Parts: sequence; C-alpha cells; structure tokens
Amino acid sequence: MRFTLITLAILLANISIVSAQGIGSGGTIKDDGRFAASTKQLNQFFRRFNAEESPDGNTRFYPGDSLYHNRPLRQGFIQILFDNQTSSVSKDLKTQFINTVLSDGYPQYLNFHRTGWFSEVQAEFIFKGKREKVTLILKLQPEGLGYEWVIDAVSFPPFKNLFNKPVGDEKDFLHPLSHELGFMNLRRAFQDSKMPEAFTGNAFHPDYLTLFLYEMKQNNLRFSTVNEVKFHFFQIEGWYFEVSQFNRPGFNTGWLISNLVKLNPGDKETIQQYIYDQK
Amino acid sequence: MKNKLILFLGLFLASSVVALAQSEDISPSRKQAIDSLALEKVKDLSKYIAIIGSKETQFSEANRVMDRAEELFAPGAEMGVSSINSNEIAYYKVRRYFERLMALNYDRVNITWYDIQYISDLERQPDGRYVGVITIFQRFEGTSIETGMNYKDTTKKDITIYVEKKQTQIAGRTIEFWDVMLGDVRVTETSA
Repeated sequence: MRFTLITLAILLANISIVSAQGIGSGGTIKDDGRFAASTKQLNQFFRRFNAEESPDGNTRFYPGDSLYHNRPLRQGFIQILFDNQTSSVSKDLKTQFINTVLSDGYPQYLNFHRTGWFSEVQAEFIFKGKREKVTLILKLQPEGLGYEWVIDAVSFPPFKNLFNKPVGDEKDFLHPLSHELGFMNLRRAFQDSKMPEAFTGNAFHPDYLTLFLYEMKQNNLRFSTVNEVKFHFFQIEGWYFEVSQFNRPGFNTGWLISNLVKLNPGDKETIQQYIYDQK
Repeated sequence: MKNKLILFLGLFLASSVVALAQSEDISPSRKQAIDSLALEKVKDLSKYIAIIGSKETQFSEANRVMDRAEELFAPGAEMGVSSINSNEIAYYKVRRYFERLMALNYDRVNITWYDIQYISDLERQPDGRYVGVITIFQRFEGTSIETGMNYKDTTKKDITIYVEKKQTQIAGRTIEFWDVMLGDVRVTETSA
C-alpha cells in the first residue's frame, strides 16, 4: 500500500515531465510537460476527478483495473484540478471538498450522463442589425440511440425589460365585471396600453427561449460567435463548483475549478436561479 | 390501480430508452483500435497540412493534396479558429481553411506537432454513430525573406472524430468494420 502511494505521488509530481507517445516519429516537438499537465478536455476533467486514467492521460482505466477510482491517485488529481492562480477558493474549503469527495465510506464521483451539471455559453448574435451578447444554458439529454446537448434556457438583455409588469397604482386592469360587457374593454389591454403584460395573471412569466427562437425564425436574430464556455456542477452532494477554461502559460491550465461553494439548504436553487437568470 | 400500472409502464419505458441509449458499448480493446485508426487519420491530416502550407509545393500538387485532405472529413466539417487576442471564433469550411493556408505569404512555412495528444471517450449520438475528440498541439512558423517577417504560434486543435460501424462485401462475405471520419476542428491559439 505504502509502495503504491509513493509510486503514485512520484507519478503525479512528475506529471509535468511525462512524455506522451508521439503523434509522428519525426519532426515532432517534445512537450516540456505543460501540455501533459493541462486538463485538455472536459472529458479529461471527468477522468481525472474520478481517477479513470493514468497521470499522463495515455491509459484509460476501466472497472477492474487496479488503479480505477484509486483514492491516492484521485487525491493527487483533484488537487491539480483547481485554478490555483486566480480563483479565491480558500485552502480550507478545498480540503473540506476533497475530504467529502474522497470519503472512505461514501466516495463521490462525477457522471457524464447523470443530471446535475450543465453548460453556460456566452455567445454573440446580431439582433436587428446590432451585436448583442447572449447567455445560453445547455444540458445533456438522452435522445434516440445516444445523447445530445440541448438548449435549456436563454438570457438575452434586449428581452430583459420587455415585460416589466407594473405594480400597485401603476398597474392597469380589467375590472371584475368586464365579463358582463363581453370583455369589450380588452381594447384597453391590446390597443391603448403599451404594457399589455399588466393584464396577465400573477403566474405569468415570459418564456425567453420561445421568444428567442421566434425572433430567429423571423430573421431578426443571426448567430455570430461563441465567446466563452463554462460548466456548473451540482453532482457532489452539498457542493457546487464551476469549471472554466484557463489558457495561460504554465502548468495550471485547461479546464479547472474556478469557483467552489459549500451549499446550505436552499443555496442550490438560489445559485441555479442566478445562473439561469430568468427573472 | 390503473394509475399505478401507468406509472409502472412509464418508468419501464423511460428506463428502456436509457438502456437503449447506453447499450452497445465499445469494449476497451475495440476503443484502443479505433483510437489508433483515428490517430492515423490525424497524422495524415498533419502531413497534408504541412504540404499545403509549404511554398515549395506546386499549385497543382497542393490542390491534389487538398482533395485528399478533404476526403478525411465528414461533409460540412468546419474549422473554428480563435486567437489569444480575441475570443471570437472565425469559422471556415475545411476547403477554405486549406486555401487560406496555401495563400499565406511566407517563403518558408514550418508546421510541427508536439509529441502529446489526448483522446476522449467515445459517446454515442442520437443517430447511433459514436463521436470523440482528439486534442493535439501544433507549432507554426512562417518566414518571409523579403520583409524579414517571422511569425510563430502554438495552437491547440480539438478534432472531432465520428466512428461508425460499416459493412462491406469481400469475396461474397459480409465483413463489418469501424470507419473513422474527421469532423469539426476547433483551433485555439495557446499562450505556451
């Protein structure tokens, strides 16, 4: 056991000097370890988090392999999965998180196909001739013979103040005996009012994604580009973390944990609402 | 009772869909063979890119190589390119990307590859084909003798691979084989 631990420690410490098998024999540049150390794909984030691959990333571990889900290997991996240069996650919080994840009695793993994680994509669209930023929330779902990413929600600034339902004295209404007049006063709601949403029920909430798709079908919205991608994870019980991509010099690069929050009751819903930004 | 039966049937059907979605997993040894095949295609692409980018390559030869390189890709594949200074992705059809590479105004172009790559798991998509991503790193150096301009960059290339089981007839026998096609490629300039 001790020997295994020492071997793993050496392997992880030397992750930077491990050279992968070359893509071509001649004319290749030797990696100084930075690319080997980088968490190059989100797939690698999952594999490292769960200890499902070798430190150099060249060997995939499957159930039954001796190092599959190996605790010391996971510990080493998870420590290098944090953004250690810019994020303000405290050492104490990291330790608590790692202890939870690696718990002897109840170790927790990430699962690509399970719910509890989603992506936040910052994109740019041209809306009625003007460049606008859009936040898309995407999630993975089973479909047909496999899986697909689907758009779950959209946050689009031009829609934000489109439905500001007035309150109190400001709010216009259809009086309670309107039915006796065959709702002839609907004219007030649909023709005279600039805020027809004032006449909707308490449960009314605009569906921004439907509006967004409608504008696209009307040729008012045209996709331009993707600027940034992040992932939000709620799969570890009692914890939330965010994974972002870091493209910078050094060894602490690629897909890394950029934010970590220990959740109290109700926090999960609050954070999700904040990310989805549908109010 | 009726409600319970409907709930049971609903749960059964829902679990069947998930089981269907996750069935026909590729075994580790099969995955390794597919990875090797996919890497061969990526190697071929790297050779073709070096030939297309070299000024020493005749125009007609570059066009012939572009045809070969294009054959590695699934129809409609695109290159999405971004630089350190701008997150914005410029999209090019594969052929257009090669043409731009050929048109670069350097006397000497040297494209080399880092001895590191990462191959993702294969995931099944709704149509039954498998999809994976191979990440490689490339070093580009272009020199212009006249202006003395020397441009260098290192890019990360995330290359989509599509894996599909196909059949062919050989001497009257039906042989099944796994075919690999390249798909969209994301090119990101790295800070390395």
